[in-house]
Amino acid sequence: MSRSTLTRMRGVPRALTLTVVAGALLAVLPWLLSDFMLSLALSCLMFAALAVSWSMFCGPTHYLSLATSAFFGLGAYVTAWGLESMPYGLTVLAGGLVGAAFAALIGVAVLHLRGAYFAVITFGLTELVLHSITYVEKTMFETAGRIISDAPENAVIYWTVLGITVLAVATAILVRASRLGFALAGIGGDEERAQTLGVNARRAKVLAFSLSAFFPGALGAAMAVRWTYIEPMSVFNPFIGFQTVLIAMVGGAQTLLGPIVSSVFFSLLTEFLRLRFPYAFLLVLGILLVVLVLYLPGGLASLFVRRARPHA
Amino acid sequence: MKRSKSFMGIAVALTAAALLAPVAPAAAQNVRIGYAIARTGPWAPGAQVTQEPNYIMWAEQVNAAGGLNVGGKKRKIELIGYDDRSNMETVVRSYEKLMSSDKVDLILPPWGTGANFAIMSLAKKYHYPMLSCTATGRKLVDAKNPYFFALLQQPDVMMDALAEYMVARKVKTAAVIHVDELFGLEQFTSLKSSMAKKGIKILEAKSYPLGIKDLSPVLKDMQAKKPDAFIGLTYPPGTFLSTGQAKAIGFNAKIFYLAVGTAFPIYRDKMGAATVEGVMGLGTWNPKTGAAAKAYFDAHVKRWKKEPDRWASAFCYAGLEILQDAVEKVGLDRKKIRDYIANTTHQTIIGPMRFKGSENVSTPGVVSQWQSGEFEVVWPPQRATSAALFPKPDWK
Repeated sequence: MSRSTLTRMRGVPRALTLTVVAGALLAVLPWLLSDFMLSLALSCLMFAALAVSWSMFCGPTHYLSLATSAFFGLGAYVTAWGLESMPYGLTVLAGGLVGAAFAALIGVAVLHLRGAYFAVITFGLTELVLHSITYVEKTMFETAGRIISDAPENAVIYWTVLGITVLAVATAILVRASRLGFALAGIGGDEERAQTLGVNARRAKVLAFSLSAFFPGALGAAMAVRWTYIEPMSVFNPFIGFQTVLIAMVGGAQTLLGPIVSSVFFSLLTEFLRLRFPYAFLLVLGILLVVLVLYLPGGLASLFVRRARPHA
Repeated sequence: MKRSKSFMGIAVALTAAALLAPVAPAAAQNVRIGYAIARTGPWAPGAQVTQEPNYIMWAEQVNAAGGLNVGGKKRKIELIGYDDRSNMETVVRSYEKLMSSDKVDLILPPWGTGANFAIMSLAKKYHYPMLSCTATGRKLVDAKNPYFFALLQQPDVMMDALAEYMVARKVKTAAVIHVDELFGLEQFTSLKSSMAKKGIKILEAKSYPLGIKDLSPVLKDMQAKKPDAFIGLTYPPGTFLSTGQAKAIGFNAKIFYLAVGTAFPIYRDKMGAATVEGVMGLGTWNPKTGAAAKAYFDAHVKRWKKEPDRWASAFCYAGLEILQDAVEKVGLDRKKIRDYIANTTHQTIIGPMRFKGSENVSTPGVVSQWQSGEFEVVWPPQRATSAALFPKPDWK
């Protein structure tokens, strides 16, 4: 192992251990919480995994991807199509793989775009997939909605989502410490310079984009069983993508902990506002966002990282 | 640094504490009835026209009369309503809260087929009967969930009624558009089999996506084929769009039928009563179908300063009537309520209603038509409040 690899890997075993321990602690929640509190925890975990996986690629490279909804919806449809012939765990894995494969395909085609162009294209993707699936369902199966009959227990869904979240965080830790992570940071800083220094930018971007899409795909597949009825309009919900971006940015997409803290914070806050102040809900949320963006452009995480040593 | 960190901690702790605290019952004696419905997002227009106003009005009416009669004792209704933000996961989570944390006495259904599907298994798990008034589709009924009751007529029932009306008027051909949603597809499948049974030829059929902005090329194409009937199995956006565009290109047919939204008063008000004269659609009732319907209509206008829609609104109110009757007969034991709902012929503002499994098998398929500002029931003859205008007059 070269010296630079050793420096890179410093702190990684500890972070991984912490992640696994946190995961193990959270795994007891189904025995402690009511159905509602458990589904609230589920929502926190889901957005944590979405925000962490989004930040995995978009954080270092400064790309703004709105494709999360497309991957999520695809995953949900994998479950809708596959649950009759496959066990639940396998559909979740398949959902992730479909998400990753689709992202790789898209990545090859559009990752040379930057800024607003990339954002718009990825937003359009959700619509494209939505209408493609509607078309396939209509012409081949003469239906527009699918019913999931044998939904697993809430606890099983929770553990599955928890597993995906732990995996997402662990993957993010490893990517940050790997050659790929450095390549991505280099691309974010100055893509041409990174290329001059020997980074295969295209390969790195497609690889990371595809890797980061595994998680929304798997989450879509895992969550879909909660809704019994799957239709394109409800599973390709663009707000899942917006909310992910928002959470990651408010938390600080450059950091690992920021998106996690922010997803818990946001999930609880939105739920609290929705239940207690239904009419002030969007107003308060909007004001909070404006304030955060104006005064904490680096995200909540920037409150804590300043005292830490600057990143290598 | 330290200060902001502790601030964050406090904020999270406060939020968590507020969430953990159950909604305290205002008075232990109230009957607590919970629901989640769209107040924001794309489902909100439908939910706020057809559904939630009825919940609120009903609770006010019952409370004004002293409350629900539970085992001989009058108890006030306390509604616990949450915004589901037109989001499936939020629907599920809200009902989990109502059933597992708030432990409300009864629930009322959310809006729309998808959301009703989403909480069906929860209703069964926690034994909450649900009387759904904005969910249609054979798939719902075929789920055979003992706690689920669908009040609206199923697609095949509605399309059979339309076909019978067409046969009575010796209509031979039709052109059809339908929206690419479960609703449109299921209505279309039913329509095809109804038309085939009655020997009516479908000259052309086209589907369109929900968000379409221009239907005129399709309408022009159909105009050229000169069908006796034009049938649009539409959702409200398509209903408004095809009315406006058919008028603009002068496409008229002896029968001009559109599906969801025709029964909304806002359809008449926005397009103009003269324009919609003769347009047919999915409806079931109006103030003339009975004294109880008239009383409901007047109460709705008085309370909300707007008319209820002539299809699902009254079904929502009928569901509340059934629930109230069940509670007053058997108390708040939800299993007994379920059995009572399942095994009784109920008297509602729409007429008698009886369930076979999940399906309302009493209310027949109905065809309604706008005539001088009222959505008249024109088929079947024994329920008609007016004779049908046939052929449809030219656009005005």
